Amino acid sequence: MHKYDIIIIGSGPGGYVAALRAAKEGKKTAVVEDRGIGGTCLHRGCIPSKTMLQHAEVLHQVEQSAAWGIETGNVSFSYPSMLKQKETVVSQLEAGITALMKKGKIDVIHGFGTVNDNKEVTVEQKDENVTLHAPAVIAAAGTSPFVPPVKGLRETAHVTSDTIFEKTELPSSLLIVGGGVVGVEYACLFAGLHVDVTIVEMQQDILAGEDKDAAALLRNSLEKQGVTVETNAVLDDVDTGTENAVTARYTDKNGITKTEEVNDVLVTAGRRPNNSLLEETSVQYNDGFIQVNENMETRVPGLYVIGDLADGGWKLAHAASAEGISAVEHACGLQPSIHTSLIPRCIYTFPEIASVGMTEEEARKTGYDVKTEVIPMQGNGKAMAMGAKEGFTKIIADKKHGEILGAVLAGPHVTEMIGEAAAYIHLEGTIEELASMVHPHPTLLENLFEAAHSWLGREIHH
Amino acid sequence: MAKEIFMPKLSSTMESGTILQWIKNEGDPVDMGEPVFEVMSDKINIEVEAYEEGFLLKKYYNVDDVVPVNTVVGYIGEKDEEVPDTPPGNTENSESKAEPEPDQNETVADDSSSSVTQIEQGQIRATPAARRVAKEEGADLSDMTGSGPKQRIQQQDVHEFVQNAQKTPKATPLARKWAEEQNADLNTVEGSGPGGKIYTKDLSAAQNDTVSAEPDRIPVKGIRKVVADRMTESAAAVPHVTLYSDVDMTELVRMRSRLQDKIIEQTGAKLSYTEIMMKAAASALERHPYINASLSPDQQEILLHRDVNLGLAVATEQGLVVPVLHHAQHKGLVELVKESKQLAADARNQQLKPQQMQGGTFTISNLGMYAVDGFTPIINQPEAAILGVGQMKETPVGENGSVVLRPMTTFSLSFDHRVVDGAPAAAFLTELKQLLEDPYELLM
Ligand SMILES: Cc1cc2nc3c(=O)[nH]c(=O)nc-3n(C[C@H](O)[C@H](O)[C@H](O)COP(=O)(O)OP(=O)(O)OC[C@H]3O[C@@H](n4cnc5c(N)ncnc54)[C@H](O)[C@@H]3O)c2cc1C
Repeated sequence: MHKYDIIIIGSGPGGYVAALRAAKEGKKTAVVEDRGIGGTCLHRGCIPSKTMLQHAEVLHQVEQSAAWGIETGNVSFSYPSMLKQKETVVSQLEAGITALMKKGKIDVIHGFGTVNDNKEVTVEQKDENVTLHAPAVIAAAGTSPFVPPVKGLRETAHVTSDTIFEKTELPSSLLIVGGGVVGVEYACLFAGLHVDVTIVEMQQDILAGEDKDAAALLRNSLEKQGVTVETNAVLDDVDTGTENAVTARYTDKNGITKTEEVNDVLVTAGRRPNNSLLEETSVQYNDGFIQVNENMETRVPGLYVIGDLADGGWKLAHAASAEGISAVEHACGLQPSIHTSLIPRCIYTFPEIASVGMTEEEARKTGYDVKTEVIPMQGNGKAMAMGAKEGFTKIIADKKHGEILGAVLAGPHVTEMIGEAAAYIHLEGTIEELASMVHPHPTLLENLFEAAHSWLGREIHH
Repeated sequence: MAKEIFMPKLSSTMESGTILQWIKNEGDPVDMGEPVFEVMSDKINIEVEAYEEGFLLKKYYNVDDVVPVNTVVGYIGEKDEEVPDTPPGNTENSESKAEPEPDQNETVADDSSSSVTQIEQGQIRATPAARRVAKEEGADLSDMTGSGPKQRIQQQDVHEFVQNAQKTPKATPLARKWAEEQNADLNTVEGSGPGGKIYTKDLSAAQNDTVSAEPDRIPVKGIRKVVADRMTESAAAVPHVTLYSDVDMTELVRMRSRLQDKIIEQTGAKLSYTEIMMKAAASALERHPYINASLSPDQQEILLHRDVNLGLAVATEQGLVVPVLHHAQHKGLVELVKESKQLAADARNQQLKPQQMQGGTFTISNLGMYAVDGFTPIINQPEAAILGVGQMKETPVGENGSVVLRPMTTFSLSFDHRVVDGAPAAAFLTELKQLLEDPYELLM
């Protein structure tokens, strides 16, 4: 039996960050991983999708730039080269994490790990199983794509976010099942690469749970990009048609059955927890996700669950990392140094959408006397210069103290800009402080400043 | 030509200054505006800055030297320029009437013959020393008010500002608004943020510490109201004095256990200490009628009662009631047991008749079943006195030169000093003590 101070199962943004934090505390640390170091985020999630989206965005800009007098001749692109570039980015980052692990003297043990209540970890390896033990074990096993039980879907060749980039050939048409964050990002990506995209979403709207105005703006934008968005629509059945084609039938919101023949079906209908590693423990589940307290500890003392596998919280990479830091600090008997409650959310569509804090609805439900201010992107000098007119800045604040409760930004670069709103909330600055801080000109962020002034009833430009 | 550096006259009352330090050494290049030396007057420290560009050619005085104002302390000029070896005499007589009083508000000679002056920067008036300290402390001069002439900021002002800034706790803007609204003192709140910065969650935590949940509210009425009124009245109107006496209960305990079976046989109830105490009190009261007394309603007479009507303080769910056992002086232990048990039961069942609560002449309040050693009872008006009984406790007592353990009880007698004086009350308590310590007499 190999003894450690802390064992972490899963090396995604939750697990590997936890491991680095533990190593910084001088803990003898092991990471168990049965796939690539970096987890879903690096290999099948954030990084591949963002790299490819970047390519699509540049392509779009180049195409758009003809109107600005930039002459490029015929623009073409190579999908296989784009995939290669994406691979380069992924492997560079993976090498980086591996180097950090080495520097922290963290043992990386390959294989599928399971744990029990005594915090013994068994790692299945080819020849024999390895057993490890530590007083603190952190499970960061993440989630896997969920394929709903639609007739024919599981049997028919389909792709998920795990496999979408395995094919080197760009499909000419794509049906996306599920219009959540992952679905709409892929829709933008493939529409940007001139693929004929249809989204079939069961809910009333895409991006359920997100800001309504942002969802409506994005829908409008998707449709402008040529994406067919079917909401309130149910996928009835799928079957393999002729070679390299799938026939999908769905009922649209008016009850009309539509048939579509597509190259590929991409299923982005949610994710299921990878919880089999905890079968021998007495942790508590909620719909398959593991219940934890504010320190990410399960009901088994010393057994922590972080990231996507944990019940509650946002299923996002930076949330997983923050939770990993919290769990390690708690296991080391330290005061948690990170606030896991305020998690900015970014959607890398065209336009981007970013939000932080409460939505207007949540704020109302919580009992705040809410006042919301929305400043449209049009009229912002920098946005005009960029040729980007879609977007808005929404600020949600409590009337009593001007407490900033939430912000929603839509438009170019808002995923970078949301940090300012987050900083205000985190540092408990109020709308007055936001309005009194000078913002540089011309920038997109001026709209946040403008929104604060409008909120206070002293609008400058609007 | 080399220019003199003078000891500046920093205020109208300044006659000399002490050189605190030479910032430049002989031979050092000096730029215009650079501090050359630091001087201390009776009021302030100031860095004296060069008004001339060149080299410091000469320093005539050392650190800590006290130099009269307007004395040449050194020279600035071209490199290797010749200057006198000793300081030239005072160029001006500081006593001279002809010399115009230097502007009290401005610090130094701005006459161009002097090579140094003290330079103002920007619009903020501040002494160079104040500027230096502000810079060191990272404090913003524009946030300060100066106490010097023309509101010039002085070193002391900066020190005070920095100290005050440290006194005001760091808090987020939102936390400040909360605190202001709730009238909370941020100084009493422990911040959880970096450097102890206070966040709103710290305020709510602090509140949870100090603010208790809403209390349950019970209207003051019925028995509660009666007790409240009577106690207030008694405590306010009656000059209470309380006497204490520790009673050795050894014999009383023995007597009780001897009588117990017989009493149970005759009454079906147990003989309690209270009943023996009632018996003892009744006997003592008969012998000390001024304790078994009351003040007439018009306060013109003292009534000495012929009957001993003993009030018994009984705790009920509704509150304190005091049923009265009439003619106690005529009653033996058997009757006392029967009657007091009945009265107590009626009291608890809220079945006391009005006459059972009236006519009391003396009250006994026994808290001996609790861990109470002794207490100061409040008189049940218009009676003249009340007896409080504490718990019985094995206590070391001195006896014939050695310490022995005895079951002891503290009796306290509160009396109305308008009706009785201390000595007769003490005599009563002494008699009672004797009766309790040697209780067989009670059986006679
Ligand atoms: C297409 C897509 C795009 C996304 N884009 C973003 C984005 O832009 N921004 C963002 O914040 N989030 C994004 N996410 C979400 C993000 O990827 C996850 O929130 C994040 O990866 C969760 O991290 P984790 O550490 O909890 O788990 P994961 O990253 O899922 O890592 C878990 C790891 O554990 C391993 N593992 C599981 N079980 C075992 C076992 N028993 N033994 C050994 N190893 C095991 C898995 O192989 C995996 O490597 C995206 C997700 C997808 C699918």
